[in-house]
Amino acid sequence: MTDVNTKGLEPPDEPEAPTNRPPSMERIRTWLSRPYARGIVILSLIIGVLLLPMAWIVLIPMNVTGAPASEIMVNIEQTVFVFTLVSVPIVSFVYAVLVYSLIKWRGHKGDSIPEDKSPAIRTNTIGVVLWTAVSAGLAFFLVVWGLIELAQITSNSYGTVTADQQPGGEQSIIVNVTGQQWVWTFEYPQHDGVTTDVLYLPKDRAVYFNVTSKDVIHNFWLVELGVKIDANPGAITQTGVTPTKVGSFNLRCAELCGMHHAYMETEVEVMEIESFTSLMREMGGGKTA
Amino acid sequence: MSAMSTGAPVFGTDVPQPVQYGPPGGMMRRLNLVTAVVLGVGCAAIAGFVIDAVVPSTASTATFAPVAPDLIYLGMLAGWVIGFMAGIGAFVGPIRWFMGRDLTHLDAEYMAGKDLGWRRYFKFTTDHKVVGLQYLVVTMFLLGLGGLLAMLIRTELGVTWAEVFSPSFYNSMIGTHGIAMILAMILAVMGPIANFIMPMMIGARDMAFPRLNALSLWLVVVAAVCLVSTLFTGGIQDGWSVYQPLASQGPPAMLGYQMTIIVFAISTGVASINLIVTAVTMRAKGMTWTRTPILVYGVIAAALMGLYAFPFFQYAQIMALTDRIWDTSFFNPLQGGSVWLYENLFWLLGHPEVYVILIPGTAVLFEIMPVFLRKPLFSFNFAVAGIIGVVALSGLVWAHHMYMTGWAPSTNYPFMLSTELISIPVGFLVLVVIGTMWRGLVWTRLPVLAVYAVIFNKMIGGVTGIYLSDVPADQYFHGSVFVVAHFHYMLMGAALFAAMAGLAFYFPKMTGRVLDERTASIGFWTAFVGFQVTFMAMFVAGLQGMPRRVLQFDSLFNAPNQIATVGAYIIGIGMLIFAGAVVYSWSSGDRAPANPFGSKSLEWQTPTPVPLENFAVLPVISERPYTYGVPDPYENVSLNSERKPDAQRVGGSP
Amino acid sequence: MNDDSAQVLAPTTGEPISTIQRRAKAGLWGLVVMDAAGTLAVVVAYAYLWSLNVNGGWAPPGASIKPSETDELLPSSPPKASFAAEWPFWMILLLVCLSTLAMWFGYKELKRGNNAGMIVGTTSASIITVIALIAQWLQISTFPFAASDGSYASAVLLLCAGNLFNLLILIFLQLGMLTRTRKGLVTRAVWYQPQILSYWMVWLCIAFFLGALCTTFMVESPNVEPAIFGTFQQDSA
Repeated sequence: MTDVNTKGLEPPDEPEAPTNRPPSMERIRTWLSRPYARGIVILSLIIGVLLLPMAWIVLIPMNVTGAPASEIMVNIEQTVFVFTLVSVPIVSFVYAVLVYSLIKWRGHKGDSIPEDKSPAIRTNTIGVVLWTAVSAGLAFFLVVWGLIELAQITSNSYGTVTADQQPGGEQSIIVNVTGQQWVWTFEYPQHDGVTTDVLYLPKDRAVYFNVTSKDVIHNFWLVELGVKIDANPGAITQTGVTPTKVGSFNLRCAELCGMHHAYMETEVEVMEIESFTSLMREMGGGKTA
Repeated sequence: MSAMSTGAPVFGTDVPQPVQYGPPGGMMRRLNLVTAVVLGVGCAAIAGFVIDAVVPSTASTATFAPVAPDLIYLGMLAGWVIGFMAGIGAFVGPIRWFMGRDLTHLDAEYMAGKDLGWRRYFKFTTDHKVVGLQYLVVTMFLLGLGGLLAMLIRTELGVTWAEVFSPSFYNSMIGTHGIAMILAMILAVMGPIANFIMPMMIGARDMAFPRLNALSLWLVVVAAVCLVSTLFTGGIQDGWSVYQPLASQGPPAMLGYQMTIIVFAISTGVASINLIVTAVTMRAKGMTWTRTPILVYGVIAAALMGLYAFPFFQYAQIMALTDRIWDTSFFNPLQGGSVWLYENLFWLLGHPEVYVILIPGTAVLFEIMPVFLRKPLFSFNFAVAGIIGVVALSGLVWAHHMYMTGWAPSTNYPFMLSTELISIPVGFLVLVVIGTMWRGLVWTRLPVLAVYAVIFNKMIGGVTGIYLSDVPADQYFHGSVFVVAHFHYMLMGAALFAAMAGLAFYFPKMTGRVLDERTASIGFWTAFVGFQVTFMAMFVAGLQGMPRRVLQFDSLFNAPNQIATVGAYIIGIGMLIFAGAVVYSWSSGDRAPANPFGSKSLEWQTPTPVPLENFAVLPVISERPYTYGVPDPYENVSLNSERKPDAQRVGGSP
Repeated sequence: MNDDSAQVLAPTTGEPISTIQRRAKAGLWGLVVMDAAGTLAVVVAYAYLWSLNVNGGWAPPGASIKPSETDELLPSSPPKASFAAEWPFWMILLLVCLSTLAMWFGYKELKRGNNAGMIVGTTSASIITVIALIAQWLQISTFPFAASDGSYASAVLLLCAGNLFNLLILIFLQLGMLTRTRKGLVTRAVWYQPQILSYWMVWLCIAFFLGALCTTFMVESPNVEPAIFGTFQQDSA
């Protein structure tokens, strides 16, 4: 048996007097009295604090072109924010172990085989249980949050409504979106079938999209409004949104559709309902539905 | 009885041998890579000429596409595949079986490459060590091809003020890069390391079906050539996933893709069966499942996932082929076909495949860490549980790639659940790494230092994967370069770097030489730094809303792309340095000792270079693996209460 | 040769036959998993396309013409495409099952030491397989549709092509087994190859059965109002 290197690994001295602290606190204190335990905990906290701003930082590039322009996009950004926050603890802990190992647990260097000096820990029940509980708990939280957000977004995007069930009420707009290589066309059935190649949308009105393709799979992505659905040939997919911001936004194709996939972009013009209605009328369509 | 001759000694026992027809090896003596290439090219040429003569050049399909180039190319591919496999001797086995001319011991020794010297690397050699090194060469070739294409892609994306390549060429570059890298990564650990190391690790002399082993390798060689041929027939212009019906618009190269996958799927299936049967039935005496090293578990898991998932991909390509050639309507919506069918079949493979790539890489890390930290693997049972959990869930998550297709919106909920659940077993694997690292004194060599890089990347990849697994977030990120950055973090940052760590670790045993670790480390860490630059910048571009698979984009995305390109060149330089170190050390490095890292695992107890039969006497196992370390000074009761004596006994009964 | 299989050593490597047999059987399981996944892919494709009826293209064109409408057609019009008859699938399945039974019979006889019985079983199995092969080929060549006649036609042709491929491999395996038995390489002591071939044939029966189920119970598509391609309307046919 080789010499055990106990430098820095000595168990702590006995406390001088019995205390009233509960046993579990005692165990935590004992564990924390080990220098590496303290080191890793502190390092986790430091890394955690450094990583925490990521939750806000990731939203900056997302909003650089005017997002969020709808409730859906707000939901999406909330999700990204919360997920980043929730990931920070585990990532910080793992990175803390990596860093601490590289700094404090450096051992042998060179070509010769080192002697066995590390403690032969085959398992640690507390560690395993804690990790499982925390990761399962976090995963569960993410699932529940995600499901709630998904339900919210689904209702915000009216995505489960089929083409013939869409309300043609006074307040809502229906747009038939056709993707084809390599251009988007929009038809407004409620306005005498006016066809445009720029997507005009009214603010604060529910908009339903029926999406299809004339050739290959495209993807209808209203970037700042957080709308995305494939345009499939031979099928009609539905989604919807209520734009909440006036402005000029981007529609990009997000599924490779051939040579000029990169150019399959167009503008999304969100305007007040009065401007929208007069624009439709100008283009030849009174409201017929 | 008529087919048997009098007994010949085989490992000291008289065994009735089949009749020896001619010199040992028979037909195999005359077949090698040269005959294979000649026969392959010859059959391809004949097929091409015949079809060219038979099919009128004015023939066209219902959609007015010319039929002749497709048929000629397909015929040539089929001719290449069949001719090459005939020329390398793949059919000799079945024909001999049919005729009742079984292999004698001398035949088997010949086919294992006994006394053939360097020639055995260019023949249908059954020795798993030869096959492992052949896989290594093929993998490095595919990585080189993919890497070159990656440099070209990033050049196009970095030159934001001009179009360097035409759109169709750019599309072929990204498609070919994708599939070449995917194939390379599937093989990266399962090829060289599983084949070379695993049989020795379990104390076997070879794999369960040695001839199938050689078959699986040469099928990959054939498939790789089919893949390269696509570069000359128009390029794979539809991404690596080759969604229909866009693929039907593609040039004849799409047939090359289909043939590549059909052949590769056969290779994978055969190799998976081989690996699983070897691991399950050929472990040494005394090696119960609790005494089996974790790499074996990882290999079995990956092989199992490949086995059940690859046929979906293969059939999807067969259907795509019939759609193109015979005008069937699997994916043609005008006549009843469904694009969603293709997507489902594709992703039924596509998702398990990433675990096929990830699990063996992680298992290699599990083998590296005990050796260089001189302590046992933390919670072996947890590692096994994590691997089993991943395998169990891997088949239930595929439609998270299809959240945005609209195929069945109500399925988004259950798939989101299963996808988020799979993060738990993957988390177990990270815990095992962290737990092994815990309080372990690090022997600062490249294989274990690479583990830090892998875990760093894996956490980033994992967290961004959680974003994508969530439908609301995916509604923004799907189809953007955020996804591209995520999977590069996993498949390259975690899996490729892990494979490189594995290569650095097993290099002395596999090649018999010492790896120049200084140069290899410089290459590795250069690539690591470049990797962070490239893909962090790509995350930013994705967050800003840049779609994927585009060569021109909004000026908004210029800065991240230019930065990413600079990073990519740094990766390229780093990888070249690493590859250079590998090649140089392989050809002229110092001779390696048998066990330079003091590993207690069975494969390191063999001499270097490893003799043909691996072990003179098959070992008997009596201990758990990873018997490193000293008792924990903090524990009054030793946590290692089941720990057996230090040395693992090797050698023993016949 | 010693009849006690535990002591019989396989030629080539000198390992006990029981070891080789265990490995081969494990390998067979792998093959079954692989083929099952492939079969599942075909069945999934069939069922999914049946359920979707994209653009009304599932049925072969003309398959839904009622008899009364044909009276209005010109007598010289070509015969319309239609769904395949169902009984050939079951007949071929029956033949495969019979071949399997013959093979099992042969294998059981072999284990009892009756080599002649093995030869009888394998020969009859081979003959039945050849009949099944011919029947399958005839079925494919007399289908009332072509490959380009919609997704039903495509799915059925793929199914039958898979069947044909399996039958071709099967005849090779059965004839090989016959030759080897006659050469004395397959005996009571070295029984494992007929065993795994018999197991494989049981799987084949299951695969053929799944195909027959599809073509019998999933014929007319349930989606009678598919979307019309390229438009936002639905077919109200």
